[in-house]
Amino acid sequence: MNVYHPKVTAGLWLAIILAIAALGSQLLTKDWLETGFLALLPASEQQPEIAKAIQQHNELLNRKVIWLTGAANSKTAIAKARQLKQQLEKSRLFSSILLELPQQKMAKQYQQLFPYRYQLLDAQTKRTLASHPKDLLTQNLETLYSPMGQIMAADLEHDPLLLFSRYFNAQNPIKLAVEQGVVVLRDTNKFWALLLTDLEDSHLQLDKLETLLTLVDMANTQVQETGGELMVTGMPLFTARGSDSAKQEISTVGVGSSVGIIILLLLTFRSLRPLLLSSLAIASGLFAALVVSVVVFGKIHIITLVFGASLIGVADDYAIHFVCDSFGAKNWKPREGLRYIFPGLLIGLLTNLLSYVGLVFSPFPGLQEVALFSAIGLLVAWLTVVLLFPLLLTGFKPDHKPVILKVANYWQQHWPIWLLKNRRWLIPLLVIFIVGGLWQLSPRDDVRLLQSAPSDLMKTADKIKQLLPMSQENQFFLVSGRDLNDWHQNEQRLLEQLKLLTQQHKLTLYQGLSDYWPDQRSQQMNYQLLDKTLYQSGLLKRYMTELGFSNTAINSELKQFADAKTKSIALPDWLATADETKQHLWLGCDPNRCLSMVSLTGITGLSALSSLQNLQGVAWVDQVEQLSSLFARYRVKVSTLLTGAYLLVFVGFGLRFGWRNALAIISIPIIATLVSLAMMGWFNQLFSLFNLFALLLVLGIGIDDAVFFFMADNSGKSAAANDENKRASISLAVTLSALTTLLAFGLLAVSPTEIVHAFGFTVAAGIFTALVCSPLVGHRDKQHDNRHL
Amino acid sequence: MPTFLKALLLFVLSLDQGYADEVLAKITARLVKTPLAEGRFQQEKRLKILRKPLISTGTFTYHQSKGVIWKTLTPMPSLLLVNEAHLVTGQGEQAVPPAFGNVFKALLGGELNRLTESFDITGKEQKSSWQLQLTPKDELLKKVISTILLTGDTELRQLELQEVNGNLTRIGFTQITHPDHLSSEQQSDFERLSP
Repeated sequence: MNVYHPKVTAGLWLAIILAIAALGSQLLTKDWLETGFLALLPASEQQPEIAKAIQQHNELLNRKVIWLTGAANSKTAIAKARQLKQQLEKSRLFSSILLELPQQKMAKQYQQLFPYRYQLLDAQTKRTLASHPKDLLTQNLETLYSPMGQIMAADLEHDPLLLFSRYFNAQNPIKLAVEQGVVVLRDTNKFWALLLTDLEDSHLQLDKLETLLTLVDMANTQVQETGGELMVTGMPLFTARGSDSAKQEISTVGVGSSVGIIILLLLTFRSLRPLLLSSLAIASGLFAALVVSVVVFGKIHIITLVFGASLIGVADDYAIHFVCDSFGAKNWKPREGLRYIFPGLLIGLLTNLLSYVGLVFSPFPGLQEVALFSAIGLLVAWLTVVLLFPLLLTGFKPDHKPVILKVANYWQQHWPIWLLKNRRWLIPLLVIFIVGGLWQLSPRDDVRLLQSAPSDLMKTADKIKQLLPMSQENQFFLVSGRDLNDWHQNEQRLLEQLKLLTQQHKLTLYQGLSDYWPDQRSQQMNYQLLDKTLYQSGLLKRYMTELGFSNTAINSELKQFADAKTKSIALPDWLATADETKQHLWLGCDPNRCLSMVSLTGITGLSALSSLQNLQGVAWVDQVEQLSSLFARYRVKVSTLLTGAYLLVFVGFGLRFGWRNALAIISIPIIATLVSLAMMGWFNQLFSLFNLFALLLVLGIGIDDAVFFFMADNSGKSAAANDENKRASISLAVTLSALTTLLAFGLLAVSPTEIVHAFGFTVAAGIFTALVCSPLVGHRDKQHDNRHL
Repeated sequence: MPTFLKALLLFVLSLDQGYADEVLAKITARLVKTPLAEGRFQQEKRLKILRKPLISTGTFTYHQSKGVIWKTLTPMPSLLLVNEAHLVTGQGEQAVPPAFGNVFKALLGGELNRLTESFDITGKEQKSSWQLQLTPKDELLKKVISTILLTGDTELRQLELQEVNGNLTRIGFTQITHPDHLSSEQQSDFERLSP
């Protein structure tokens, strides 16, 4: 203990922090934050091709913003959309702004694909040809004779069978009304002009998101001023509003809790030092945790950051116990104080570290990260308290008796007596409360609870979905095959099933490339199908003759068909003509396999769709469901680990202090945890993975509380009077640590975001219970000198 | 019968409101205005590529709020149903022509003058009949349609659409009546339009 000189230890601390800072200055300049949920899956379950598909899918969704300008007639709606377009162009936020349909591009696509019209048959035409080829001719006549068939009739000269018109139309399965080249949607009494935009990049930077929100507000005012209406939707908007409200929430709760903690600590110590010191301890812990985690894992997940940071909150305890000890002795000196509370601090740290051990061995990367992050954070915060505080607390000796100390002392003396006196009815009541609450507790792992989208945004999104049934769902299929041929077959089999599902109204729409681009073999088969059914059979000749084509025209058509026999279009060439949405469906080929996505719209029968993953080469990707089930698995895992942590801590205490004492100490966090769980049950709170992290925090702080009360009682030969002094300062520390924790985390319970609220609620219930029960540990009933629980 | 006239124009055109015109107003005044009209049609399409015209005949029903039933009987039976929101043919649901809903509203008012927004109109009104010649204003439409000729008396009797590429469509209307209510068959056809 002689080397334990404050200046030496402070130097040691500085060396550690400087080393970490040096490491951090190199590492943290890189991209170190992971946000994709797949990274949370056990390594054995991570499928890179699914990750890639999800990324591609999300990238597209994360950029799209849909704008609809509404007015009483279509002309005004379009005029407003044109105005809006100019405004959006000025903002420079978007890489593409689409109002008028790109007619030139469509004309070009038409020209590029037209030569392959005998090879590129749409699915419906193929079916008709295969079953009743004559129906195709009948349908053509219907079209030609109908009063609507002007445009089709114009194609007749080059394409007497209207094959290509069919193929071209089938590429755009949603029939939208177009006016002045603009898509116009119709509501019961309104017309909406459609404007599609893509943000410049899918990595949504916060400042850009804010610019987007301002832009939406401005556009809204402008359109409304001129008597119109504006509806905007898109992922970026949800993200923007989400981060906006989260920021606001955190800053409101943050400011509230900071002010509360500052006032509390100032009133208690009449000095800023304790506050600054405990902040320093936690900040050092967080920083070290971040750096070390990045060193070990390369990147850390945002979930790790959030929960790890919360768990480091336990470190607040160490600082407060240290400074509160100054009230426990007359001529308090930091070094002596430390000597006295050191065993308690050490046990507190070891218990917490122990409770994270289990997490390290779980197969889930997220939990390993949380464990390491919290362990390092706690260790460094603890080292800050032990190594640096003796120096920085030199001369710190409050000579006042704060009211809270008196209250805490009075309370710790009389409260346990009252509890013990009434235990006959308190214990049954507690048991009933806990059992009844646990009975009602049921887990909810739905990931959608994580994000609480503003209801006005949801309403607009729903309305737009109704008007414009083309927005893709989160779910999609991934289709693979050994080669192009194999892939094509697999996707076609899936699309056939999807076709059935649309007929059963379980799905509005699907898009798969193989419906638009037949592979080489299918292209040949299409040609042969036409040849057999219409050309060889003489049906075409008869059809053309009856319609009134000249012989020259008929012969020219026959020659064109014969010349096209060996034509075929390769996938890359076809993709080059396709629009962006279709291009995104293709994920490419490597030597072993080819991969594509099938996107879905308007899902109503989720289970029917997901059961299609049994088809060969088909994988069902449901990010929401997968994430929810991931959370459920994490929850189960953490529950087991939490139980394991309790056992481990119990055994450790049992070996050190005897089984009876161990039981007394550990009963505090156990009761706190049970009461917290029961409260969730009674108040029908969200119970998921996130509450369990809150319970880990409850374990850490509950153990600390109990251990310090226990240690005060067993501090050796010190006189009983001194003991009481110590108990008073410890009860102050326990009260202060409980109050600061309640302010820091319990306040989160007021959050309207369900998941944040749940976390805060759990912490609040647990910490409060631990605070209420901990004075029972080591309490002496003066008359009998018996120790009770 | 101004309402049906407009419903028909929708098949090929895009229209919007404009200002009143004297001839139009007079013609409008002569037309029989009821919520329901039905009759027979003969349609003749002359396509340059074909050596003979495509001639079809059948019946039509116009209902002010429900839409139009266009029933072709010869040379091959087929059915086309259309209202402001849906267009159904033998091959399923199709895209509704531009501005249909808007015009549909205009139909209820029965104002021919709404045509002036999209067309330059010249017309002559005679004792027993009238004639209107429409030329599109819209650049896009100009590329497809050169003129539309409407002839009528108290009803619209003929529509002639001349396309830029030389194709011509002529539709004649006969036996036009204005019953009080729809037949049950017409009822059920309209039901298919509003699922």
